[in-house]
Amino acid sequence: MLRARDLHKSFIMGRAPLRVLRGASLQAARGEFVVVTGASGSGKSTLLHLLGALDIPDRGTVEYNGQNLFQLGDDARRLYRNRDVGFVFQFYHLLPECTVLENVLMPSLAAHSFWGWRRIRRKARRDAEELLDRVGLTERTKHRPNELSGGERQRVAIARALVNRPALLLADEPTGNLDEEVGEDILRLLTELNEAGQTIVMVTHDAKVASHAHRYVRLSEGVIREAGSPGGKAIPVGLATREVIP
Amino acid sequence: MYKWFLAFRYLYTKLIALFGVASVMLCVAMVLVVLSVMGGFLDTVRARSKGLHSEIVLEGGTLQGFPYYEEFGEYLKGQLPGTVELTTPVIYTYGIFRVPATTWTKATRILGVRLDGYVAVNDFENGLHYERYYPGTTRLGLQSMPVAGMSESNVLQLPPDLEAANDKWRRQETDPEAIASFDQGPFQHAPYPYVTPAILGERVYAADLAPPRYEGPEHYGVIVGCDLLNERREDGNFNRYLARGAEVALMAGPLSRTGTTTGEPPILVPLRYVDDSRTGIFEIDSFCVYADFDMLQHKLAMDPQPLVDGGFTKARANQLLIGLKDGIDLNMTRDRIRGAWLTFCASLSPEVSDVDARAMSLAEVYTWEDLQRPFIAAVEKEKVLVTFLFTLISMVAIVLVGCIFYMIVEKKTRDIGILKSIGASGRGVAGLFIIYAGAVGLVGSILGAILGSVVVWNINDIQDLLASLNPQLRVWSPDVYSFDKIPSVVKQADAIWVASVAVLSSMIGSLIPAWIASRVWPVSALRYE
Ligand SMILES: Nc1ncnc2c1ncn2[C@@H]1O[C@H](COP(=O)(O)OP(=O)(O)OP(=O)(O)O)[C@@H](O)[C@H]1O
Ligand SMILES: [Mg+2]
Repeated sequence: MLRARDLHKSFIMGRAPLRVLRGASLQAARGEFVVVTGASGSGKSTLLHLLGALDIPDRGTVEYNGQNLFQLGDDARRLYRNRDVGFVFQFYHLLPECTVLENVLMPSLAAHSFWGWRRIRRKARRDAEELLDRVGLTERTKHRPNELSGGERQRVAIARALVNRPALLLADEPTGNLDEEVGEDILRLLTELNEAGQTIVMVTHDAKVASHAHRYVRLSEGVIREAGSPGGKAIPVGLATREVIP
Repeated sequence: MYKWFLAFRYLYTKLIALFGVASVMLCVAMVLVVLSVMGGFLDTVRARSKGLHSEIVLEGGTLQGFPYYEEFGEYLKGQLPGTVELTTPVIYTYGIFRVPATTWTKATRILGVRLDGYVAVNDFENGLHYERYYPGTTRLGLQSMPVAGMSESNVLQLPPDLEAANDKWRRQETDPEAIASFDQGPFQHAPYPYVTPAILGERVYAADLAPPRYEGPEHYGVIVGCDLLNERREDGNFNRYLARGAEVALMAGPLSRTGTTTGEPPILVPLRYVDDSRTGIFEIDSFCVYADFDMLQHKLAMDPQPLVDGGFTKARANQLLIGLKDGIDLNMTRDRIRGAWLTFCASLSPEVSDVDARAMSLAEVYTWEDLQRPFIAAVEKEKVLVTFLFTLISMVAIVLVGCIFYMIVEKKTRDIGILKSIGASGRGVAGLFIIYAGAVGLVGSILGAILGSVVVWNINDIQDLLASLNPQLRVWSPDVYSFDKIPSVVKQADAIWVASVAVLSSMIGSLIPAWIASRVWPVSALRYE
């Protein structure tokens, strides 16, 4: 479903360019839970941003269902971000002025025009409430983000990422700012989602987290190195290997 | 949809937007106040200008005047019977006004009018002062001076006809306050035979202890512009220096039919001051006096004069005022009357002398608007100019909104990144801020329109309040302007117009910040907490 090939990305820092990605390649099949680990500063976030079309590589391609994202126009990329991927950030990144429910609805709001929204708002609202229920925040829909704990915020962010039913969930260290127990909760939630069929690509610097994944790769020196399937966790037959190429 | 949603959410969660709202509000209020006051000023000037002449004026264009005005009046009534109500001639010239009792003099424009006809074609009557309290007693014909005195029951009274007229006013007057304020001081006394009172007041009559009566030689009456002779008080009323009926004089020079001197010395006409007139236009009220048409025509040698060949010249006037029946189109009628005048002149041509033909060819038909256009246009220009200046000042609000939105965008960079990461477009984000600014403008405009209206409606009280703190702050002083009160009407159209411009302006003000917002690169906004 997702295939990144030979991604290069460097940043101009002072005089010398900082070459963060130097030919990273990665793929994720439908239903897969891929974890990318790497040291802090190794370029994990940079990679994930490229996968989510939030940034543009110096070289290389990201194909989604066979379509190279960086050959698409701005509008098509916008639609990709809105419909096909959900992004979960390390720092939650919720809108402080909006309630939990409104934050979750935001991608849905962004997908519709003023009039279009009027037609679907009831259904969208129901879906959002269902999602919040699923992440265990039924009681908190009217709260503002700053009234929530870190773990709760991250749940909201996950619900927001899922509200448009994207095929792909990209999570950038969703547990990075949480203590271990809460982090475990979030990981369990992601695992559950994956078991229900959600494709997930997650990056983390915490190698332990990798145990939740089907497949687990390392990013170092700007390239992806296959680390194989972590012990104990079996890859469901057919899922990891089946590549969806339209 | 998120644009609308967030724009309105930000509107009431972000305190900083209130500064934008406040600045838009103040600007809208300011422009609306200026526009309303200037608009009211213009409307008043228009209304007063309309009442100054008559609907249509045949203007001679010279000081020596033109002949056949009477005949043309009759001709017109025959030609346009359904249109022309009446015509009345006017003479005007320039001269010197003199008060013999004090030897005070002043330059003046002298109008000769037939009072009955004159008040029938315009609003002149409404501006007469004594005529209001003593209806029917202001006449331009020969008259003596009324002197108040002791009646048989030993009360100070005016001659019976004045007392009766005053009673009539009391019965007609619908405003009890006017009667009450009259009764506080019916009139001040000038100890006869003096004509100036010890205490100035709104009304002044000569008085002594003999019975009420008329005294002194008969002279023609004269109505004097209120600002020419009297002192305007702070409350907009006038203090009068002269008793009603006091002797005054006019001096002027007669002109021949061709506008040269006649060889006669300047005339000096003794008159009695019977009333004063207030048109509400200072240039007129400080300059014009009104005397009897026929008397003035005679004195100025504009009546038929003997010619060496035995005939007589035709009588001359300077204007023929033409009053129309109700509901008649002004400009169309002017053109018809213009045509009638030309036919009339042509029909006379064999019997008319060259001098008269020339004088008649100089005469032209105008509407009251044509005549007052320079004056009204000046006020119109003033209104446009002042409104323009204040609008220009209000443009500061655009800059302010720009600054405020720049700050908002700076603070919201992360949120913009978030929105983009969930699929908002650059255009959409720019739209969000423009809508936000529009909403700020709209709320500011509504509040500003309310504030402005409240200020305009109470502007006279506000001025009174300011003046009570410091008299220097009385900018709109009735002793300076012909208006007692600052116009205090807000036109809905003005309010809507100003508000729309304000909404548009704040949207324009937000364009640059919105553009900056649209260019935010999601990744750089999202990298850090
Ligand atoms: N916009 C940018 N401008 C300059 N340098 C950047 C930019 N984005 C990333 N970098 C640099 O690229 C390198 C990789 O950054 P990145 O955020 O991808 O690392 P990471 O693996 O996600 O680290 P962490 O585990 O701390 O989140 C870092 O050294 C960072 O300073
Ligand atoms: Mg990172």
